[in-house]
Amino acid sequence: MGKYILKRVLQFIPVFLGVTLILFALENIVPGDPIKLMAGEKKLDPQTELNLRATYHLIETDSNGKPVRDSNGKTIPTPMWKRYVLYVNGLLHGDLGTSYQRKGQSVASILADKYPYTIRLSIVAIIIEAVVGIGAGMVSALKRYSFWDILVTLVTSIMVAMPAYWLGMLLQLFFGVFLKNATGGAFYLPISGAVGPGAEFDDWVYYILPAITLAAVSTAYTARIMRSQLLEVMNQDYIRTARAKGLSRRDVIWHHALKNALIPVVTYIGIDFGGMMAGAILTETVFNWPGVGYETYRAITQRDWPIVMGSVTVIVVVVMVINLIVDISYAFLDPRIRYGAGKND
Amino acid sequence: MADKLMMGRRTFVKGGLAASALTALAACGKKSGSSSSSNSSMKYYINDPVAIDPYNTQESEGTQVEHILFDSLCDYDWDKEEIVPKAAESWEANSDGTEFTFHLVKGAKFHNGDKVDAKSFKRGWERICNPKMATPSEINYHLAPVVGYDEMQKGTATELSGVTCPDDYTLVVKLSAPMADFPYICCHPALAPVPQAALDDPKSFLTKPIGNGPYMMVGKWESGQYINVKRFDDYYGKKPSIKKIYFSIQKDPKTAFSEFEAGNIDFTSIPTGRIKETQKKYGKSKDGYTCTPKHQVITGAETSIYYLTLNLQDETMKDLNVRKAMSLAIDRQKIIDKLFEGIRKPATSFVPSIIDDDKKDVWEFSKYDKDAAKKIVDENNLAGKEITLSYNSGGDHEDIMSIIQDNLEAVGFKVKQSSMEWASYLTALSGGNYQVGRLGWIADYPTMDNFIYPNFYSTADNNYAKYNNPEVDKAIDAARQITDDDERREKYREVNQVIAADLPVIPIMFYAHNHVASDKVKSLYYDPQGKADLANTKLA
Amino acid sequence: MTEKKDMYEKNKQVSAEAPNQQEEELDSSAPTRTLWGDAWNRLRKNKLAIIAIVWIIFMVILALSADLWVPQTLGKPNAQIYDVRLPMSAKHPFGTDQLGRDVLSRVIYGARISLAVGVLATAISTVIGLVMGAIAAYYGGIWDTIIMRLADIFLAFPYTLFVIAMLAVIGPGIQNVFIAIGILGWPSIARVFRSAILTVKENDYVDAARSMGASDLRIITRHIFPNSVASIVVYATMNIGGAILTESALSYLGMGVVPPDPSWGSLIEAGQTYLSTEPWLMIMPGLAILTTVLAFTLLGDGLRDALDVKMKDA
Repeated sequence: MGKYILKRVLQFIPVFLGVTLILFALENIVPGDPIKLMAGEKKLDPQTELNLRATYHLIETDSNGKPVRDSNGKTIPTPMWKRYVLYVNGLLHGDLGTSYQRKGQSVASILADKYPYTIRLSIVAIIIEAVVGIGAGMVSALKRYSFWDILVTLVTSIMVAMPAYWLGMLLQLFFGVFLKNATGGAFYLPISGAVGPGAEFDDWVYYILPAITLAAVSTAYTARIMRSQLLEVMNQDYIRTARAKGLSRRDVIWHHALKNALIPVVTYIGIDFGGMMAGAILTETVFNWPGVGYETYRAITQRDWPIVMGSVTVIVVVVMVINLIVDISYAFLDPRIRYGAGKND
Repeated sequence: MADKLMMGRRTFVKGGLAASALTALAACGKKSGSSSSSNSSMKYYINDPVAIDPYNTQESEGTQVEHILFDSLCDYDWDKEEIVPKAAESWEANSDGTEFTFHLVKGAKFHNGDKVDAKSFKRGWERICNPKMATPSEINYHLAPVVGYDEMQKGTATELSGVTCPDDYTLVVKLSAPMADFPYICCHPALAPVPQAALDDPKSFLTKPIGNGPYMMVGKWESGQYINVKRFDDYYGKKPSIKKIYFSIQKDPKTAFSEFEAGNIDFTSIPTGRIKETQKKYGKSKDGYTCTPKHQVITGAETSIYYLTLNLQDETMKDLNVRKAMSLAIDRQKIIDKLFEGIRKPATSFVPSIIDDDKKDVWEFSKYDKDAAKKIVDENNLAGKEITLSYNSGGDHEDIMSIIQDNLEAVGFKVKQSSMEWASYLTALSGGNYQVGRLGWIADYPTMDNFIYPNFYSTADNNYAKYNNPEVDKAIDAARQITDDDERREKYREVNQVIAADLPVIPIMFYAHNHVASDKVKSLYYDPQGKADLANTKLA
Repeated sequence: MTEKKDMYEKNKQVSAEAPNQQEEELDSSAPTRTLWGDAWNRLRKNKLAIIAIVWIIFMVILALSADLWVPQTLGKPNAQIYDVRLPMSAKHPFGTDQLGRDVLSRVIYGARISLAVGVLATAISTVIGLVMGAIAAYYGGIWDTIIMRLADIFLAFPYTLFVIAMLAVIGPGIQNVFIAIGILGWPSIARVFRSAILTVKENDYVDAARSMGASDLRIITRHIFPNSVASIVVYATMNIGGAILTESALSYLGMGVVPPDPSWGSLIEAGQTYLSTEPWLMIMPGLAILTTVLAFTLLGDGLRDALDVKMKDA
């Protein structure tokens, strides 16, 4: 097991290097000079532009932070490898750089602002996904070919085919507009993530609609996986044996089948949680949710590279770590799996 | 099949039940005594600002917040149409307009109790010019006329030598060239004073600035969420009547408006296409700028213009006849009627009528005359010429451009659209890789110079058309020296006419407010520059 | 939309990591002369799949024949000839939009873009995925390591952000959308194809062919490809739905189709403003996406059962 973990951690390194290198390449090929864009339509005066370039290490500077000039009096752009080294060095010291567009703010402090919202929303979404998904999957499997089974299959198919941002709008329409008009303003849900001291509802209320939107697709998958797993397990010999021994169906399901059927489902949910850590641009856009996904999207469109670099790096590491934890716990949960034996690679 | 349908209905009922259970739950989550009923606080929609620290305030949203946290030397009064005192009680200029002496109000304090003195202004201004800030300011151009600015920028000086403080309450500013309009610049919130804390702890000053204005921060700016401020009790001026203001930050004005309709926001903008309906529901403001109960929708003219910039280095656009035909072919009123419900005004000039409404400002070709346009196209054999309209995606630009495309095709041009994301678009514009682009110009200061100089002076920043007419440059230089207001205006009108004949840009429309306040607001004045006078706002 | 696309990927990972399912994929490679005939017979009995096929054919005909009848009956999709924001009526079944354009006409023309993106993007990613998967599986060793690590890197990136960044590089426009979606979609197909080949590769007839001196290319195209084609077809069918959702999300964010041409995503975006007053402006294009993607998913499900491909719920 230790060997397996070590191997997986070592595999992080090329992926991490690859991701950061791709980001650096993007920064260099995407049109749009971020420094020129800093003040929007207004142009920066040339000296200010130079000072900004020096501040962000885009041109070579001397020990006083003043731009170095070549024999023609031109500034020298910092070579990409040097900036990459600077970046990785900063990263190792916990410094993710300073944003171009969020004036003067460090990337670390911006992510520290945004991540809690992403994490909290993801946790609520995962709870919905687990409870509803597993529940629906069980009902569907245990009452196979019944009305409920067909309903679950149909609803999950629709959920999977639906653009999530559109679902979000439908929820806003129903809970925020229709219900409010229908009940004369007595019952409705807030349609944007305006959490805070001036907000109308307690904080948790604001999580309901975005969390449902975020969870919808994965809930459908959870239900489907749960269904097929449970059906498969129920067909296994040991379950048949248990039934033949005279155990009640109920006992067999709760004590034997469920445990084994749940393993892949829990794995899926775990990996899905990792995915949610990357933020959900569209859900965040529709519900005005101040999470890390929209922030990164904004950063790409505004060429705010320090934020793009910082948040994608953090996202990738978080996702990889969560996936690793999921895989390890998978091995613990399922005695049939033994990593490191070299067979199941 | 019939069985399935019946079941379907049952589940619908069930679904409905589940839905109402959810909302009943949410009703429990409603805060008791929620502030929508309270009369001492107000909720105001803004987009996420770029900065609220004065050293980098550059757009409307940050300015809105910053301008109640900080008081600059003076302020422009739209009623009196002149500059009035604020942190400075009076000032005088020397005879040639190169030196200004400001006398500060005595006894004013910062939110942390520090004294507001001449040094705090010098400190604030030097912060703007200081290239050693964690990230240097991008709005230092405001101070470019001040002596010592260049030296600070180059890093050869650490002090703004043109600004001196003979005593605690006197601030003397020397300019490197005459500029009669300098007090207009001093109205800008970026030129506010800052306490020593801004230098000692710049990181927290970014998100929790300490100012000298009527309101102070409660907690820090929660990015993407809210900014919370309360009345500053030791304020030197008139005490505001509202105790707390909550700036609700929303990414999308559409969401903000939905929140307004839900009663969660007291002041917001109205999305395109919903102004008339909102006006019917909430009443139209009497003067277009003041919201009062039952007269809550304001649609007054703004000091800003929406226009097309034409790349004069492009082969097709070089042809004055093409530019004339285009300008005449665009049905400005149709754009306004269809998309803006008649609220905005067709641009007849580049200078908005609220800045100067003299007849001498009118541009000859800035009107809709399809036949004249068609005639120019036919006479000069322009039919079939290809034109690409570039713009940034989002906003209402798609719709506006679609109408313009329709208009231009109607007189015989072959038109394509090219929508880009903001960053790519700006890059294309400044690189000259476009044919026809769109831009908006919002006045920094409400002067004619602020429309003419930055857009048409050959070396000016915003001259994306690459317009270069030495006659215009010379005339602008001359106008800037004139100290007499009327005479100066007259000179700018002349320049404006020269530009109108060259047609480097096509004015489309003047913006108008499209904002609404809740009935909780007794009176709120929202000036033509888009600044809400929150310190004098009253709630019912 | 694209967050869902991630789900496809993740789901695939789950099945790839559950060994008991991997073994089952072996079955799919059993060669039968009547594979397609049998499959069709099975598919015919699947009502949902038939409905899906009918719907897809309907949409395709609608999209292809639009020029013949839509402009005459509804108005050209970009023509601003009606009053603005008319409600739904017999003349304008989906109403008119903020510029006075017929929304049904725009939804029909939007189908062209969605279907084209779905099919072309899938074609691009399938081709790249097949080549990469084939190289990795057939040559193994260092090639396998490099390609699979590359796939890891691509999959480690947040998918939506990656597509957006890609579009920032190559610029907006619909042809670039299917290039971006196509290029970034290869890793999962490569993985599927790689494991399919690995299972086929060990079969005796491949060895036999090799001993008879057949070239690598010939072995791959003549022996390995036909035996993995079932899983590729199923995967690609489902992928079309994912690509349609991704395109709609990009157009919703304003990065897809160039106005005034309509796309379902941009129609939803435009309709969002009128959510509380004219909700159909946003509901109708959404239904178009939903039904079309659903049809491809159901068809994929049907094909999977008919071709006996074990892929789990992807």
